[in-house]
Amino acid sequence: MSVQEQIHETVTTNPIVLFMKGTSQFPQCGFSAKVVQILKQSGVKSLVTVNVLADEDIRNGIKEYANWPTIPQLYVNGEFIGGCDIVSEMFATGELEKVLEPVIKAA
Amino acid sequence: MLDPKLIEQWISAGLPCEHIEVDGDGHHFKAVIVSGDFAGLSRVKRQQRVYQTVLDKLNSGELHALSLQTLTPDEWKNALG
Repeated sequence: MSVQEQIHETVTTNPIVLFMKGTSQFPQCGFSAKVVQILKQSGVKSLVTVNVLADEDIRNGIKEYANWPTIPQLYVNGEFIGGCDIVSEMFATGELEKVLEPVIKAA
Repeated sequence: MLDPKLIEQWISAGLPCEHIEVDGDGHHFKAVIVSGDFAGLSRVKRQQRVYQTVLDKLNSGELHALSLQTLTPDEWKNALG
């Protein structure tokens, strides 16, 4: 399986996936930490995270996958939602709740 | 250390900006960008458009963290009240 296929499988077989630096317990970047915190506050309990620092191929591959050059990256039901700025903005406007609610309920 | 003014130049060279303001500590930067090109684009597409202008700098690691606020001229006027 290529890296792109591997990423595709990860984001399509898990409802909420965050590609981040570090882990949700020990984020290694302020932007990643912020998104984890927002997701927790939004009621997400089953968050799958991928630590890009642990795998150089994933770290490079994920930038290509969404045509997005920075980490973190949030995916919901296989769809790329955004990075830290977008997730923060959507959290503030209530849009994030609308995206996450059906997924949280279905879990 | 990177000068925020330089980032402003990189972005405005690749994107027609009505207004651009980049602020930062030399490592982490925050940009407010107002461009008519953003009209009709989703947040993701707007940021992709901006990232395009500094892609080589992001990939080389010269630019590490750039936080973006992307507005159309109308949204900017509304934001200013």
